[in-house]
Amino acid sequence: MFKLLKEILRTGDATVQYPFAPYEASKDFRGKPEHDAEKCIACAACTIACPPNAIHMETDLDAGTRTWSIDYGRCIFCGRCEESCPTGAIGLTPEFELAVMSKEDLTVKAVFQLDHCRSCGKPFAPLKEVEYVGKLLAQTGGETERSAREEQILHTCPECKRKNDLEQVSRMKIAAQMETSK
Amino acid sequence: MNSPFNAPFTTDGLQAKPPVVSIPDQVAKMKAALLKDIQRSAYVYRVDCGGCNGCEIEIFGTITPVFDAERFGIKVVPSPRHADILLYTGAVTRSMRMPALRSWEAAPDPKIVISYGACGCTGGIFHDMYCVWGGTDKIVPVDVFIPGCPPTPAATIYGFAVALGLLGQKLKTHTHIEQEGESVPVSHPDIPYKLRVALEREARRMAGYRQGRDLVEEFLDQLDAKAAAPLPERMKRFVANQEDPRRAEIFGCLEGIVTQAIGG
Repeated sequence: MFKLLKEILRTGDATVQYPFAPYEASKDFRGKPEHDAEKCIACAACTIACPPNAIHMETDLDAGTRTWSIDYGRCIFCGRCEESCPTGAIGLTPEFELAVMSKEDLTVKAVFQLDHCRSCGKPFAPLKEVEYVGKLLAQTGGETERSAREEQILHTCPECKRKNDLEQVSRMKIAAQMETSK
Repeated sequence: MNSPFNAPFTTDGLQAKPPVVSIPDQVAKMKAALLKDIQRSAYVYRVDCGGCNGCEIEIFGTITPVFDAERFGIKVVPSPRHADILLYTGAVTRSMRMPALRSWEAAPDPKIVISYGACGCTGGIFHDMYCVWGGTDKIVPVDVFIPGCPPTPAATIYGFAVALGLLGQKLKTHTHIEQEGESVPVSHPDIPYKLRVALEREARRMAGYRQGRDLVEEFLDQLDAKAAAPLPERMKRFVANQEDPRRAEIFGCLEGIVTQAIGG
């Protein structure tokens, strides 16, 4: 009996104190994915990567907005969003206390503005994404400032770009040039 | 009587929707009164509606001595007739709808229904499969949702505490609306883009996507650091200081890429 009591005292209490004391999640614990909307460029990489479609994106062309949303109830905490995010806007946190009374509280949304094409005026891509691409291109070219022409091209939708190129080619009269060079 | 067994199905486009059972006002009032001042144990009956067994393993983890849910009087019982709390796991397959409803009927009022795990909450990764209803709330009224795939034992205890009204919920829905002039800076603007991509690719190839990113960020911070010592020397010291041989190996490779980029 005494031996047993001694053994019990030596072993101590194995039970964790949670919820009376905070519970320390282990390193690299995959908890709630936290979205920093200010760092997000609404590129939809996470939407494509998400296996259970917990992350969802909807584009409203009439309002010119794109709405990003995550449903924590559907999330399987795989971290694919974190892997695919080009700006590090979404990342898993050690937060695990996610239980809610109503299902609406499981959804978090972010609304982003779309960029309107400077030629045709139609929305074509999220403004922040276009700006980010511009910055990356400038960095690749070793520039700091964008010229007015570069700015114009950057904010033009692919369709208008194609049309403008064709117009330019027709203005150059390539056919005529080819005949004379013969 | 409000029997869920013979209620008609509704259709939403091509998809059939099972009827959701409703609770009478009297029972709801009883439940509110009970939860206001619960001074007894809460017995839990586990209903597996087509889960993968991951959630069950975590529930068993919760009742082990390490997490010891019995401290709070939470005990897993083998019959719904003993239960105060019904714990639904799994995405609710078509064939498990009836057994799930039977156990719901068998549990005495007032009862608390908990949706457990990603599948229980919304159908999880199985949400769009032909054979599931996608979530417990599609068939019975749910009081608390515990997301997770599976929820850890600590998350389970937190969920029970929320269900019994001991702790408040932390998660709140919110919508961020983009402000005028919000823009994202390019990270590490002083490092050439091509070099950064090459480093990221190599680190992710060697350490996997997630850890690779962490490692390459650490390395890029080293490159960015403003210090008196010249870059090759600093990198050599950084690699030599690594205690973990795996990290040293990866950083060594990254150093090779940088050296090549500088030399070439």
